[in-house]
Amino acid sequence: MERSFAKEVRLLRKGAGEVFEGEGILAITKALLQSGVAYVGGYQGAPVSHLVDVLSDAKDLLEELGVHLEACANEAAAAAMLAASINYPLRGAAVWKSVVGTNVASDALSNLASAGVIGGALIVLGEDYGEGASIIQERTHAFAMKSSIWLVDPRPDHTRIVDLIEQAFDLSEASNTPVMMEFRIRACHMRGRFVARDNVAAAHSKRNPLTKPEFDQARICLPPSTYLQERLKIEKRFPAAIEFIRHARMNEVMPGRIDDVGIIVQGGIYNTVIRALQQLGLADTFGKSVLPIYVLNVTYPLVPDEVTAFCAGKRAVLMVEEGNPDYLEQATNALLRKAELNTTIVGKAVLPMAGEYTSEVVLTGLARFLEGTMPQGVDIAGIAAVLERITFEKKRALNLLGGPVPKRPPGFCVGCPERPVFSAIKLVEREVGKIHIAADIGCHTFSTLEPFYLGNSVLGYGLGLASAAGVAPAFDKRVVSVMGDGGFWHNGLTSGVAGAMSNKSDSVLIIMNNGYTSATGQQTLLSSTDGGQHRPMASIQNAVANMGVRWVRTIRTYSVGTMVKTLREAMTTGEKGLKVIVADGECQLARQRRIRPAVRKDLEAGRRVVRTRFGVDDDVCTGDHSCIRLSGCPSLTVKTSSDPLRVDPVAHVNNDCVGCGLCGEVADAAVLCPSFYRADIVQNPKPWDRWLAAFRLSVIDWLRSRRPAAAFASPAE
Amino acid sequence: MTAKPVSVLIAALGGEGGGVLTDWLVDAALRADLPVQGTSIPGVAQRTGATTYYVEVHPETNAALEGRRPVFGLYPSVGDLDVMVASELLEAGRAIENGFVTPDRTVLIAATHRIFATIEKMQMADGRFDESRVFRAAREMPKRAILFDLTRRAETRSQPLNAVLLGAIAGSGKLPIAETHYRAAIVASGIAVEPNLAGFALGLDLAQGRVELLAPPPKAPAKPATDLPALIAEAVDRVPAACLDVVERGIARLGDYQDAAYARLYLDRLYPVLAAGGTARLGAEVARHLALWMAYEDVIRVADLKSRPERLAKVREEVRAQADEPVAVTEFFKPGIDEIAAILPQRLGRAVQGFAERFNLVGRLNVAMPLKSTSITGYARLRMLARLKPWRRKTLRYAEEQALIERWLEAVRRAAPRDPALALEIAACARLLKGYSDTYRRGRGNFLAIMDRIVHPALNGMLKADAAEAVRTARDAALADPDGAKLAQALDMLPRTAPEAVQTQTINAGQTGD
Repeated sequence: MERSFAKEVRLLRKGAGEVFEGEGILAITKALLQSGVAYVGGYQGAPVSHLVDVLSDAKDLLEELGVHLEACANEAAAAAMLAASINYPLRGAAVWKSVVGTNVASDALSNLASAGVIGGALIVLGEDYGEGASIIQERTHAFAMKSSIWLVDPRPDHTRIVDLIEQAFDLSEASNTPVMMEFRIRACHMRGRFVARDNVAAAHSKRNPLTKPEFDQARICLPPSTYLQERLKIEKRFPAAIEFIRHARMNEVMPGRIDDVGIIVQGGIYNTVIRALQQLGLADTFGKSVLPIYVLNVTYPLVPDEVTAFCAGKRAVLMVEEGNPDYLEQATNALLRKAELNTTIVGKAVLPMAGEYTSEVVLTGLARFLEGTMPQGVDIAGIAAVLERITFEKKRALNLLGGPVPKRPPGFCVGCPERPVFSAIKLVEREVGKIHIAADIGCHTFSTLEPFYLGNSVLGYGLGLASAAGVAPAFDKRVVSVMGDGGFWHNGLTSGVAGAMSNKSDSVLIIMNNGYTSATGQQTLLSSTDGGQHRPMASIQNAVANMGVRWVRTIRTYSVGTMVKTLREAMTTGEKGLKVIVADGECQLARQRRIRPAVRKDLEAGRRVVRTRFGVDDDVCTGDHSCIRLSGCPSLTVKTSSDPLRVDPVAHVNNDCVGCGLCGEVADAAVLCPSFYRADIVQNPKPWDRWLAAFRLSVIDWLRSRRPAAAFASPAE
Repeated sequence: MTAKPVSVLIAALGGEGGGVLTDWLVDAALRADLPVQGTSIPGVAQRTGATTYYVEVHPETNAALEGRRPVFGLYPSVGDLDVMVASELLEAGRAIENGFVTPDRTVLIAATHRIFATIEKMQMADGRFDESRVFRAAREMPKRAILFDLTRRAETRSQPLNAVLLGAIAGSGKLPIAETHYRAAIVASGIAVEPNLAGFALGLDLAQGRVELLAPPPKAPAKPATDLPALIAEAVDRVPAACLDVVERGIARLGDYQDAAYARLYLDRLYPVLAAGGTARLGAEVARHLALWMAYEDVIRVADLKSRPERLAKVREEVRAQADEPVAVTEFFKPGIDEIAAILPQRLGRAVQGFAERFNLVGRLNVAMPLKSTSITGYARLRMLARLKPWRRKTLRYAEEQALIERWLEAVRRAAPRDPALALEIAACARLLKGYSDTYRRGRGNFLAIMDRIVHPALNGMLKADAAEAVRTARDAALADPDGAKLAQALDMLPRTAPEAVQTQTINAGQTGD
């Protein structure tokens, strides 16, 4: 894993009255333990990876509390795990990144929600939306509505979050329904504090095992039970949920001086609204606002009485609802219509339909709302002035800069083993022409960005090969699919490889075997070897061979020449069927984390260590940068040429170079240019090393001083 | 009015330690008993992309607040930042562009070295964003700017950047946190404590003006040594002052590349261009490109450069080898048929080239020649190649390059009196001739295409469009897209008056001149 959580684990042990100080995701984890969960499962993904990561470092604590932790194969497995709460009074939680994880989990979720639960079931979702997100921009809200799962969107404050999690379990049990709780990226990584309560041991575990399986046909998702379950949702669970939410005061009303306008906001956006009000001089530091605010910590279902009570007597209410469709605005309008209230709901009319609700977005929307509604005692001119100043300063900044600065999207790390594969694909494309590449989710998706621009579609995690099924037969040459080892075990083995085999598809699959799910923080996989330190529990090569794939090649990713040759063969061989290239190379981040301390130790102990790195002769480099277009390594950069005659910058390898070898391989395989060199620096040299170096130098000096041989004497001009 | 939280936005690249910096800052605030909230958006951005960390600190202690808690923002607000921290110049520029640096309150703390974005690095020519503009914005937009470049001095280069930034934050005085709390936070984090404390101290000094670390005005590079004083004296006499510096360098370069006669040829080629009219800039551009072009990089040149006495020392410095550490250097040569034909005598070389073309072997059959230039045999091979220098004049490549140079010069000479702008654009086309093997072949193809399809029709009055503009557009297209698709597009869009006349220009013109 990318980091160790020993310090965080100590925080999870805090008892009643102690102050917990830490990240949001950690507070969430602590709240699960305070709620007495019996089991936790999940699949990693930003921003909620840490939940399972931290718990897997907390084995002892989990043992004491009787909590079972499962690192699930995918989100569907995590959701299916919640089945334990259908029949038994076991509290459990599942966690994943949404909306993609929810998509994967949706089959199990629908069945879970239909059957209903008796033990509290909580689904913790990292709502990966807006800046920093790595996935498609959709709301989880729709899932909650269509499956009748309750959706909590807590106000980002540690104390409130922890309370709401404990309440969510009660809500789940009171309404026999699983509950989703969504956390945006910033809330997950927010550092704050709350006063802890004691952890609660699970009702049942190895210490107090269940003895009798429960059978109740009504909990089976098969007709006729399913018809009954649907009715139960509407007649029993839904009203029970509303009753609980109201009674437990999960939503909050913050009073304000003005009574004819107000604001309704999703809990997660509350702080941003307060900040906008503060900027306009309408709220104080402690959140005391001039306008009343109704905070929806539960965004589904709405509590009709609360909504109408808040809106009654108000001319207009601003609905701050991030994302689309505008479910809350529509639902509120419908509630008001039924209650025959005339309050105007202003939402997407002043706030954007799409995109994250950042401070600036909310500020602008709020200002437009206030300008439109002109509440008594609000200085409209002052509000306009604030906005004008912001526009003016931004314009001035852009003028000074002369235009927008270049984007800096994420990319492959220094020495990444996946980069060379795309260098090789680019080189093969020079021979066979452009190739359609069905890309996948993982670090390797960075291939679609500069400098490679490789990858024509991305359809979801592990779906690289499956997404080639329709397009491959339509192409004049083979289509290449890319999949990571993470995606392979997540579902690629079945949805991709099994599908391709049973359909006899004739295409090429490259599996990036870097040993971890690297993009999410280097969690281990079935095929992990921790850099060759142990045997894998299952190998990708064996798995595909057992599926019947006959053409399987394992290539070290840094061997670009061999990769080019293999890929060329895969593209052109007469052999039909699926051709799998396992691109082998350990995640460089993980590798460096392992070997750096070891090297440091060796150096300190005076042992001989050879350090390798690459360099560029700046007088040989002509500054065409084709090496960079085939690599994009952060340590391969440019600098102003030391030659005043050259105006274009020359290539340059900086000291972050880890000597992965790609520069040399690409210079060689692409027949690029002779300006690259590899330097092997012998640290703590032995006497022999010194003697040899000195001897060589003296001979070289002698060679240098010799005059040109007669045979090469200058011909007459 | 009640106190407001102090807001700090930190812009950094993934993997630079921005998270640790944020943790230190939050921890220091906690130690000062101040309410604080920090957040970040790591996600995939931690893989080398631009990312930000955001911290708000309330200036009244928890004790003084008696249970009241400020509501902190999770997002930085435009026009509402007290401290903007950037770990790199372009990221400072991004923050300024986003409106996070305003003159009424923001202190901008920025490390001003450059880490180039891939999109800047990968361009054929120079894709680097104009630094001077970011500097101007960084000085004019904030209330106060604390700018420094740790890479300026050897002794600051290895200082941990995040600790220096923390020191600068402390030194800015914007946060009501005593220095001891910051230091305690560093100590408590327990990693590389000593270097981090030293970095923190440097940051404090930088913020409080006790140390300055910014670029000195760039010094003019030293004149190269040359044993051709007569040619230099002649150039001083006959070359306009505006391009003298370049010409002197050109003489030195070509004397070193080949011999005095070759440097003489350089001057002889230059004089007619200087006499043909056009601007002083034209003279300097032609002098510069001509010197680079005449010193084209063949295997002989590369071997020569790589076997020079000062080269190993340069490598050792570049890779930061300690004095007692032996360094083995491996070179990556992979000459193909083209490169071999290039150093064969003209007729033989042509025969080989013709053979290669007939059997579609150009760019193939390359022989990998990894060569240890620090080993005796490896060095001897390099030296042998380098010693082919006198032989160069008989080679095929020499003949081809000289012919193309003459053709280019003639085009410049013809354009200069009639259309100085066009002459300058033609001169600049030499920029396309870069790289080795494939890259070089493509560049040369693009150069020839522009010469054939625009320059010559223009000089012969066959082009309806503004010729200078057309050449510039085509050249930019060739530089924008190494595969040549954009250039082909640009060429296709040219208005043509006499298509037949254009087509009579042959691709082989490189050997024939005009």
